[in-house]
Amino acid sequence: MLPSPGLIFQSVLDGVFLGFLYSLIALGLSLVFGVMGIINFAHGDFIMLGSYLVWILANGLRSDPSFMSLATVPLFFVIGAAIYMTIIRPVLGKEPLIQIAVTVGIGYVLQNFALMMFRAEPRAVQTTYLNLYLNLGVVSIHLAKLISAFLSLLIVLGVHYLLTKTWVGLAIRATAYDREVASLMGINVGKIFLLVFSLGIGLTGLAASLWMTFGQADPYIGSSFGLLTWVIIALGGLGGVSGLIASSLIVGIIQSLTMTLVSPTVSLAIPYVVFIMVLWFRPQGLFGKV
Amino acid sequence: MRNTLLELKDIEAGYGVFRVLHGVSLEVGKGEIVALVGPNGAGKTTTLKTIAGLTNLFKGEIVFDGLRINDVPPHNRIRKGLALVPEGRGIFAPLTVLENLYLGAYHEEARQKLNDSLEMVFTIFPRLKERKNQIAGTLSGGESQMLAIGRALMSRPKILLLDEPSLGLAPKVVSELFEIFKRLNDEWKVTLLLVEQHVKNSLEISHRAYVMESGKIVLEGESSVLIDDERLRKAYLII
Repeated sequence: MLPSPGLIFQSVLDGVFLGFLYSLIALGLSLVFGVMGIINFAHGDFIMLGSYLVWILANGLRSDPSFMSLATVPLFFVIGAAIYMTIIRPVLGKEPLIQIAVTVGIGYVLQNFALMMFRAEPRAVQTTYLNLYLNLGVVSIHLAKLISAFLSLLIVLGVHYLLTKTWVGLAIRATAYDREVASLMGINVGKIFLLVFSLGIGLTGLAASLWMTFGQADPYIGSSFGLLTWVIIALGGLGGVSGLIASSLIVGIIQSLTMTLVSPTVSLAIPYVVFIMVLWFRPQGLFGKV
Repeated sequence: MRNTLLELKDIEAGYGVFRVLHGVSLEVGKGEIVALVGPNGAGKTTTLKTIAGLTNLFKGEIVFDGLRINDVPPHNRIRKGLALVPEGRGIFAPLTVLENLYLGAYHEEARQKLNDSLEMVFTIFPRLKERKNQIAGTLSGGESQMLAIGRALMSRPKILLLDEPSLGLAPKVVSELFEIFKRLNDEWKVTLLLVEQHVKNSLEISHRAYVMESGKIVLEGESSVLIDDERLRKAYLII
């Protein structure tokens, strides 16, 4: 039996919504990598940790998860700053293997902390104001997903504005390209690193709040978010926000379509299959320059 | 009596634990053009990098504008009026020409004079004005060097440290560049410390010069005297 056009359209739409949230997650990861050269393998695990925090707060306050971003973003910004100062800064300029070991280590600590505290069962927030469906005939729009997509896009564009239109953004881009010459320009490279890492982790606090308006917290979502956003960054090619958004949407749509048309289990694997295929034909990424 | 702007006293510096400079002393007076010449590997670049704060300083003292700056981090040295135009130009290739120039005026005091400085740089390098919205990576070698110098001027430096500015440029562009150095010094009263391979050109435009070999100063004096020095003429084939 062929799936109805309505079902496919619905699936694409859900994929687009999910894709925008992915772009928010990938943005923080790509900033940290692009500016500092650090691959943060714990990036997804911060979203996992944030999801549990949102779960506790939203259930405790009987309020919507999205509002919890008012707490998670500043808190994660500060956590990001603390982790940069204590763990990341000492390994800057060290061999990549050391840096990988450090961030993978952070990820494992967070995962096992979550396992110990919350066990392996998925947790969802009970109260959400956004758990409504707008019925538009052929498709119905899940308000939570729509709003999370909208807020994600807003923040991604906001960060893009920061990077391209402000002095601090100019300093970040200069540091990303050549940190020694950036310091000659009077840029305090250490401060830029601190800011970028804190911002990257702060954004995972927001992503966690938005995710919990329709998703669930479990100790392993970090790994899937982390790997998936790497695929997005590699697909998009480092650099532009437009490439990042486009590849996020592609991954979101592919995932959603395979979930609808094939099976949820396969949908977890398909983005990686697509990724490997893209690498065969365009090693520089879909939107990256050679 | 020279009005000293920059003084290096018995500097030993290098990278990691390796010493490249073995007791370098030199002086640059306000308003001077001083050339620093010598063979490859003599430590000229390391000397400039040490002044900019990019090396490990083991021993000695750097005094700039009356203050000891040994412990001032690199990003604060430009504030004090030290601007290094690094070897290879150090252009931010993915950014536009204008963005590169803005970065030269990143520190607060320079930012307040941004528009005046831009006008000054565009007067000296009209070609940068024509190309201001272009991506810097697409500039020719000569234009990149102009951008690197223009960017350094945006910081309103008291001294400009130039590391091999003529490297890889066509002879015609090189003479243009040396004309610009003279103009910067005459008209805009910028003090220059110039590291160069074009020994003859450098001696012609500079007031004084130092010759470096193996991390040490081996010869110093008035450029007009050094240009006739037998040893130097032999070593650098000045005809």
